Amino acid sequence: MNALKSILVAIILAISTSFYAQTADEVIDNYFENTGGKENWEKLEGLEMIGVMKMQGMEIPFEQLSTKDGKQVVTIEIQGNRMVWSAFNGETSWERNQMTMEAEKSNNEATENKKKQVKDFPDPLLNYKEKGYTVELIGKETVDGTETFKIKLTKDPILINGESKPNISHYYFDTENFVPIIVETEINEGPMKGQVVKSSISDYQEVNGVYFPFTISNQFQTMGFKEIKLNPEIDAAIFEFPEKIVETKKE
Amino acid sequence: MNRNLFAAVFGILFSLGMQSQDINIVLKGKELFGNLKARQIGPALMSGRIIDLENHPTNSKVMYAGTAGGGVWKSENGGATFASVFDDHAQSIGVVAIDPSDPDNTVWVGTGEIWTRNSVSIGDGLYKSNDGGANWKKIGFENSERISSIEINPKNSNEVYVGVLGALWGDSEDRGVYKTIDGGKTWKKILYVNEKTGVNDLIMDPTDPNILYAAMWEFRRTAWGFNSGGPSSALYKSTDAGKTWNKIHNGFPKGDLGRFAIAIAPSNPKTVFAVVESKEDKGLYRSDDAGASWELLNGDFGLVVRPFYFSRLVVHPTNPNILVKGGLFGSISRDGGKTFKNLGNMHADIHDIVFDINNPDAMYVGTDGGVYRSWDGGATMDMVDNLPLSQFYHISVDNEEPYNVYGGLQDNGSWWGPSSSPGGIEARDWNRVGVGDGFRVLKHPTKNIIYSEMQGAQNVWRYNVDKNYTKSIQPLPIKGEADLRFNWNAPMAVSDHQPDRFYMGSQFLHVSNDMGDNWKKISPDLTTNDPAKQDKESGGISTDKSGAETHTTIFTIAESPIDEKVIWVGTDDGNVQVTQDGGKTWINTVANIQGLPKNTWVYHIEASSHKKGTAYAVFDGHASGDMNTYVYKTSDFGNTWKSISTDDIIGFARNIQEDYVNEDLLFLGTEFGLFITIDGGQNWSRFTNNMPATAVHFIDLQKKTNDLVMGTHGRGVIIIDDISPLRQINQEVLSKEVHFFDTKPSIIKEEGGFGGGSTELQFVGDNPGSNAKIIYYLKKRHTFGKMTLAIQDEQGNEIASLVPGKAKGINVVDWNFRRKGPKVAAGKTFTFGGFTAPRVAAGKYKVVLKKGKKQFESSITIKSDPTSLITEAERIAHQKTTKRLFDDMEDLAYLVYKIDQNIKKAEEVSKNDAASKKVATAVIDQLNALKETLVVTTGDNYVDEAEPQLREKLSELYAEVADQFEKPSLSQLENKEVFETMLNDAKAAYEKINSKQIAKLNRYLEKTGGSPLEILEKQKFLSK
Repeated sequence: MNALKSILVAIILAISTSFYAQTADEVIDNYFENTGGKENWEKLEGLEMIGVMKMQGMEIPFEQLSTKDGKQVVTIEIQGNRMVWSAFNGETSWERNQMTMEAEKSNNEATENKKKQVKDFPDPLLNYKEKGYTVELIGKETVDGTETFKIKLTKDPILINGESKPNISHYYFDTENFVPIIVETEINEGPMKGQVVKSSISDYQEVNGVYFPFTISNQFQTMGFKEIKLNPEIDAAIFEFPEKIVETKKE
Repeated sequence: MNRNLFAAVFGILFSLGMQSQDINIVLKGKELFGNLKARQIGPALMSGRIIDLENHPTNSKVMYAGTAGGGVWKSENGGATFASVFDDHAQSIGVVAIDPSDPDNTVWVGTGEIWTRNSVSIGDGLYKSNDGGANWKKIGFENSERISSIEINPKNSNEVYVGVLGALWGDSEDRGVYKTIDGGKTWKKILYVNEKTGVNDLIMDPTDPNILYAAMWEFRRTAWGFNSGGPSSALYKSTDAGKTWNKIHNGFPKGDLGRFAIAIAPSNPKTVFAVVESKEDKGLYRSDDAGASWELLNGDFGLVVRPFYFSRLVVHPTNPNILVKGGLFGSISRDGGKTFKNLGNMHADIHDIVFDINNPDAMYVGTDGGVYRSWDGGATMDMVDNLPLSQFYHISVDNEEPYNVYGGLQDNGSWWGPSSSPGGIEARDWNRVGVGDGFRVLKHPTKNIIYSEMQGAQNVWRYNVDKNYTKSIQPLPIKGEADLRFNWNAPMAVSDHQPDRFYMGSQFLHVSNDMGDNWKKISPDLTTNDPAKQDKESGGISTDKSGAETHTTIFTIAESPIDEKVIWVGTDDGNVQVTQDGGKTWINTVANIQGLPKNTWVYHIEASSHKKGTAYAVFDGHASGDMNTYVYKTSDFGNTWKSISTDDIIGFARNIQEDYVNEDLLFLGTEFGLFITIDGGQNWSRFTNNMPATAVHFIDLQKKTNDLVMGTHGRGVIIIDDISPLRQINQEVLSKEVHFFDTKPSIIKEEGGFGGGSTELQFVGDNPGSNAKIIYYLKKRHTFGKMTLAIQDEQGNEIASLVPGKAKGINVVDWNFRRKGPKVAAGKTFTFGGFTAPRVAAGKYKVVLKKGKKQFESSITIKSDPTSLITEAERIAHQKTTKRLFDDMEDLAYLVYKIDQNIKKAEEVSKNDAASKKVATAVIDQLNALKETLVVTTGDNYVDEAEPQLREKLSELYAEVADQFEKPSLSQLENKEVFETMLNDAKAAYEKINSKQIAKLNRYLEKTGGSPLEILEKQKFLSK
């Protein structure tokens, strides 16, 4: 039974321990360094992004406000009507119903998931360790015809239909200048569940010393920013859920 | 170490040296193709072969399906839908295993199908994911070809056993049971028999990870035969984690055995079942003492049929008396294996079964035709409708608009379907045109007739689509002459020169000039006619006569598109024959090919459409264990051949397609995907944009659209729309910062219809898109600074602003022929007509790309639909009315804007200055009364909608007219008159208020020192 003897030929595998010139941290550090420096990023208290959203042949002017404490509001203009489309004050998330145009609270899972992303401002990768996130350098990959470092970012798990799901996105950093040019996220619900949305990030421009992408585009829509304001003055009331005022007539 | 470093440095220097000398710009892969993307159109209605189903041990919603040629698919909704998670790697799967200790994240995949039929694809090793399939790492076993089993110690994720079945067509030492104790870093081979015998199944006792059973199978395939079984086939057991192994045959039949199917009852691991392939006493054996002794229970057909194809045995997780065996129909026993009945009605050829972890009546079944689900213990089967795993052997296209794709499928008949359909390409768009295994399907060049066939040309059908009439037309043996040998995948061809001419190949070339009614032979036996390769008793221990192994046959026929007398024939035993006189004389040119092993299967010959003497030949030696790529070109009728294969190509090749315009542009289909050369084969690039690494069996190029259409063996039909930019790439283009490719005029299709009858659980193939395409090359990806892309009219007015592609390489941007939509009057709700943007007229438009401070220009030509019934005069009338209504919309918007501004101002004044109340209120009341007739000021967008006002009525008419193609009807024009009268009346009413109440308010403001109202000029308002 020769053949049955253990064959002590260990197969040394060339598993992907191949030497990368970069670690994930170096790539991310380089990214912040090249886009204004970590200090400047950390100084950001709020952002106001004004632009036009293109989708299904429509161009919708919008403004997006976000703050360091995770508040967000999106204001859009459709057919001459300017309205807050969705907002989150850190506790309550809501959006406008497209039929009644009235504000309706987001479901509890969406709200909880929003709360978990409060610390994403201004960029989930900024001090990601303190946020409890992890990163992993997957390797080099060519996307958009360009050699990139593919980095996996794992954020706090999110809740989808009662089930906790890992919240993974993949960032592709151009090896030449270390800015992300593609971000991929998985669709968690609906008919496209399980498929990946690829957002193309470009048109980086400097705003008071910090570089921001002025175009973010995926298969569904394109956000083109005309203006990005750093640390704008904000009236906190704008984030609040508009409670309906019931007028009681005096007899 | 030092030496390695030296080598590395030297290597770098060397490559730098090469670069500086070589001034040619060579772009590979995504650098070249940029955002040029393939589109997958399925179909999924017949799906394809499933190899292995694996469910999550604790979450019943999660499961994986490993497929024959379509990779790995994951479901997270209990099998309702699946998504592909393995596109970048070998698509032929042997086994999927989920780590029981970390089932959400750690998944292993062994590639290489294990149901070893003649047409199986190959794998390229073992893979592991640490994040539920999002990323995969190769863990070696590159030469394993087929991995049958992965067993993970449930208590220790680092301890993993891998069963390698190994090479199907040759000897190999990469077989046996391997073990790692460090999560896959190092492996030890712990059970090996010989170079002919691999592990076809390995199972672990679920309660004791030291106990393993390994089924070793001696097997071999050649191009002309198959052997299952021999003295080395045996069942082994280890009780010490693989250190020692013992044969456990007590009670098994004596003599040579074949393939085993084995299973442990999870709820009672002493009970083990084995189906044994043997000449005598074959059947299901049961052991209740963990393999120490065996008793034969049942030798039913359903259990013993075709062991090489069906050797899966599954015991219910909680009930040891319920077991299921894969087979032609699948067999289920509820009495511990004594008796069986067939599973419910579904696609035949059952390869794997898993039971739901929670619901004892629910199960999933993998077949030759996809995944089925059952909720009543296998009695009723429901097919998963979104697995586009169709396994094409061949495809072809016609010249209709939109063109149709024809093709035959592994065990799923022959079909045709459209390349585009309203609402997407749905299951119902596909039509059947043959049963059994389908192979070549060809459309008659001029008549509505389709030729199709089943395996071994047992039937060749001529189907009259209009009459729904089928006639069998295969060539038949003639008295006194040799029997005909047809390949399993028998070649047929239609003539480019004589529409009714139809060719078939047996060992002879047959031609019919009347669409198959009558045949004549126009060649002698063109094969080697080697009797040693004409095995009629294939199969080994279980005879398997299906005709699938018929060899020494013609496999490819190519009539020159330039000269009908020039015909090429390639045979499966390696002859490349050519006639230049329509079959009178034949020359075998294969001896002129250098570097090609003798008798290598000629998979495809492509007769050039550029030169009569030019042809390409693709050889595939995988059925003799040769996995190399062989692609040759001749320019002199085969007197000399030149290899055009390079190391860029991965996998053995099956098909090549020459471009009709640029002779240097070639497309090659291999076992691992699509490869493209733009320089006649000096450099090849793998195309990976939405193109999985699936086996490409056949490629066609549609002449009108320049669409490259691929028949893949596991991912259905995949199309790259319009490859014409690839024709135009040369050194000059590659050195430019931006280059616009010439495109054909875009046509505004004058059509509209309804589609979309599928549910969200059904696969729907993407349409090509009917938009105008702007195609350009970027030398570098645009990342910093602004980049815009606009369409302008010839005067330079902006018509539309598009979203530019920014990838390095080729970018394709769509324009839907529409200009910007109108500015719409503000109301309480939306008016849906207001979202309509008008189409532009036919003509020439400027394309302006701005990148930072630089501007690049090109132009695009738009044409009206030449097939439309609408006349040019009508189109002009249509454009004119649309424009009028568009202007009316904006006039109204401006009027409402002025009203709103005044109201706002008046309200503000009245709030701050009590004395103004009277003048201000007059303005507010008058204007509100007017406004209420112009736009809705109450209600919502659904069932609480307010009564429509002018805006709503006008926009409805505007949208209706703008969306149609024909000239406006009389009633539309009359309707327009009504609204325009209303609009003019409103303007007049406003002017009246303006000159009275508003003027009064302004005078009041002037008097009290307030600032008068500022109202934007109309142009400013419109461009705001």
